[in-house]
Amino acid sequence: MALSDPTRAAICKLVEQYPERRTALLPALKLAQADVGYLPPEAIGEAADLVGVPHSAAFELASFYTMLHEEPVPPTMVVVCAQLPCALRGAESLLRDLYAGLEREIAAGSVEVERTSECFGACHRAPMARVNERYCENLTGAAREQLVRELKQS
Amino acid sequence: MTVALDYEPVLLTHPGRTTPVTLEEYQAEGGYVGWRKALQKMAPDQVVEEVKASGLRGRGGAGFPTGNKWGFIPKAPGAKYVAVNADESEPGTFKDRELIEIEPHRVLEGIALCCYAISAETAFVYIRGEYVEAADRLEAAITDAEAASILGRACLGTQVNVRILVFRGAGAYICGEETALLESLEGRRPMPRSRPPFPAVEGLYRRPTVINNVETLANVPGIIDRGSGWYNSIGTPPRNTGPKIFCLSGRVNRPGNYELPLGAVTVRELIDDYGLGVIDGKAVKGVLTAGVSAPILTREKLDTKLDYDAVQAAGSMLGSASLIVLDEDTCIVRAAALMEEFFRHESCGKCTPCREGTSWLHKVLQRIEEGRGVPGDLDLLLSLSGEISGKVLCALGDFATSPVTATVKQYRDEYVAHIEGGRCPHPAW
Repeated sequence: MALSDPTRAAICKLVEQYPERRTALLPALKLAQADVGYLPPEAIGEAADLVGVPHSAAFELASFYTMLHEEPVPPTMVVVCAQLPCALRGAESLLRDLYAGLEREIAAGSVEVERTSECFGACHRAPMARVNERYCENLTGAAREQLVRELKQS
Repeated sequence: MTVALDYEPVLLTHPGRTTPVTLEEYQAEGGYVGWRKALQKMAPDQVVEEVKASGLRGRGGAGFPTGNKWGFIPKAPGAKYVAVNADESEPGTFKDRELIEIEPHRVLEGIALCCYAISAETAFVYIRGEYVEAADRLEAAITDAEAASILGRACLGTQVNVRILVFRGAGAYICGEETALLESLEGRRPMPRSRPPFPAVEGLYRRPTVINNVETLANVPGIIDRGSGWYNSIGTPPRNTGPKIFCLSGRVNRPGNYELPLGAVTVRELIDDYGLGVIDGKAVKGVLTAGVSAPILTREKLDTKLDYDAVQAAGSMLGSASLIVLDEDTCIVRAAALMEEFFRHESCGKCTPCREGTSWLHKVLQRIEEGRGVPGDLDLLLSLSGEISGKVLCALGDFATSPVTATVKQYRDEYVAHIEGGRCPHPAW
């Protein structure tokens, strides 16, 4: 089995919470991902079994949503919003500084820096990056240097 | 500053605050008084009528009258649902995030009133997956309100039950489209449904469902507590009543959320008086008013009043009131390519014209920006746009053509300069 007992129990509890079982499928996949680190086929299948839907239904979701990962992800994912409001306030220079400052960590595979055109709703505090689940905002000057230092140590 | 100096916010009543307003604070400031009033003194129909009389229009973008939407819900017994659209993903939009993070109880009170008005016992708050902090705060607020018997089973000692569930998305702009949101809630790929049937008749689990934006619902407690007459005294009645949160971003000195009465200020006043002007004193090249989903307003239109009808008359849409300011140095082709990259990324892929068209629009814009444009590209962009617009199931396809058609028409010289010069004349970002 790919999933831990607590995760299996949490998914079973989720299923009870909703008017229809299938509503639990997306939250179940997120729990599975939190448990394993990503979503290998066995984890997807197991989540589907616990919710009581065909495996194909779960694969359809896993391959659609950007926050679900079918491949392993590095321990630290830095996603920089480069959509227009952030681009107008220095997103590209933030990306350049992150790539340059974290060259060694990126090469070692411990950090991945990704540019996205998706907006994260932090346009008034641009430029910004999501570091795993955390929002790092107003990344100019000292705040930017601080983030690079922090990521080098992680 | 202009009129707005005298305006006391009613939605974001704690400017500058970073922690959530607690249940005790919210109640001390008149919170849940509208909820109490509705449960003790009003029939559900009266709540609907009051919201209709307020003139409140949906704040998510479409501007549809909220009371009318509630009135479409059939009276027949059986399960009904409220789905709250907190999938805020339009570039330039960050108002629902602040409402939920700072004023969670105002949002919850609005949801409860909507549930009562349409006799629903369950509401789902569909919140985008990246808004982890907001979702955590909302769940904590629900726990507090249930512990105080304000929400949950037997609200305030009555026989009314309201169960509010926070449902976290996983990264997909299309989930803000109301039928895609329902598909996502049902555990399916979030692809828009064809209509009819409309959600008011067959929505979540094929049951009657109201889908409202967070900001829309945050307006309701005030309407019920203080009445539709009070609400009509804010803004520009009859079609633009109440407050609106304007999200200001881009090349301004002080970006942020500014709550103002609809129609109280112009685009220019918002930029100058609230955003403290354009960075480095530059001139404005253009302003997007509805994120990246509606035509850009050129600098000649800066004296347009910020309400639904005035912005529409100026050739765009107020939408979610997400104003992105482009200054004179901004390359319009690069901006358009970036916006189209967004739609290419976010097209769900169900309708061929949108799936293929957004990809091609982006490719052509990108090659023009990179100096590889060829004569005929502008006609190609417009004809491609025509193949998408009106030929798809949801609004995303139409939105995706706006950055292209509006900029090609209004800034044609810049496109031509790219193509004829074989390079982008603007400095890199």
